[in-house]
Amino acid sequence: MGFLAAGLGAGIIAIGAGIGIGMIGKGATESIARQPEAAGDIRGAMLLTAVFIEGVALIGAIVCIILALGIGQ
Amino acid sequence: MSKLMRRAAAILLFLLAYSPDVIAADATDATDVNNDQESVIDVMGKVSNHDYFELPWTKVYLPRIFLSEGEWHVYKSTKSAVDSGEFEVSEAGLVRTNGAEITLDMSISSHLIYVWMGLLLTFIITFLVGNRYKSGVGRTTEPKGILQNMFEVLFVFIRDDIAKEFIPHNKYEKFVPYLFTIFMAITFMNLFGLLPWAAAATANLTVTATLAMITFVLTQVNASKDHWRHVFVFPGVPAWTRIILTPVEVLGLFTKPFSLAIRLFANMLSGKIMIVCILGLIFVFTDLFGAYVGVGSGVFWVLLTTALYFLKVLVALIQAYVFTLLSAVFIGMAAEEHHHEHDETSVAHAQNVQT
Repeated sequence: MGFLAAGLGAGIIAIGAGIGIGMIGKGATESIARQPEAAGDIRGAMLLTAVFIEGVALIGAIVCIILALGIGQ
Repeated sequence: MSKLMRRAAAILLFLLAYSPDVIAADATDATDVNNDQESVIDVMGKVSNHDYFELPWTKVYLPRIFLSEGEWHVYKSTKSAVDSGEFEVSEAGLVRTNGAEITLDMSISSHLIYVWMGLLLTFIITFLVGNRYKSGVGRTTEPKGILQNMFEVLFVFIRDDIAKEFIPHNKYEKFVPYLFTIFMAITFMNLFGLLPWAAAATANLTVTATLAMITFVLTQVNASKDHWRHVFVFPGVPAWTRIILTPVEVLGLFTKPFSLAIRLFANMLSGKIMIVCILGLIFVFTDLFGAYVGVGSGVFWVLLTTALYFLKVLVALIQAYVFTLLSAVFIGMAAEEHHHEHDETSVAHAQNVQT
């Protein structure tokens, strides 16, 4: 049961994080294409936002690892 | 400047040395024997904390130091602690034979050694280059040599692109030494994890939590009056919403260092686990399909691991950068002072601007 939960959870995390980071990448590339001289600033903002999403995704991943290893049962 | 830096490094060292869980080494050696039939490779053993320091040719057993019943017990290694009859090996590590509680486990463990090595390298490099600047090289003339040039590039990067950008302009100088120290220390700790026999100290939650705690304390100590006003009072909102908003904001204070710690920990842990797992596929394939398939597919797995190693170098640097960046962002957010008034009109004005 723990393995099932961990697998499903990891999949859902991947979907969520993928959509989030994809949207950030889309926004960043579009704005760089529109305004190439602001590329440096946009890259910084992109990294910062992507990092927040990554943090949430990794917390989910840790929960999945805990479930899969059966810690706390 | 270098005095402040030295002080920051000393505080880091002090805090890490006194957090008991960093040092709570396990007795994996004893339990390894029982697990042999379950798995061919010990994946978690490669990343977890040990009571020995592994070198390519040998293992150096580290001292165990316990405080129990108000007495200090100091042993050369886990083995000598067991031999003395005072301690015995259990599933949760070493316990007293007479059932007494261990108040404090101050044993030196492998991750702690890597933390020390990271901090020591940071200290040596800053000290060397700092002396050069003191003697005038780099201030009146151009910086000389690879070391000083690289140092200057990194330092200017931290100062201009991280500290100056995210921390208010009248305050940023105070935080540059801390941010630089933490960047260098985390980079070195992460890069130690790339050595095949070594482990990244940042793949231990206690280490990253201690680092995040330092950022948290710095943030709250340097917070401006406006920061606290925004946590507890909320200018410009109806009074009853404070019942909901204040708990959320107070929770928000603690989620920041929490996510900071988890992010670094999970990134470094997953990198090492991934590499061990992919190399482990060679043995899994050998078990399933025989030695020829195992060796043949091994070429592919080794190539994949090489690619992953390059990725890991990148991740090690990016995660150190991200930790420093977010520390600066959090400190900057708290230290910021709002000059405009938060009344009904300014909120309405802000909404007009947005639309």
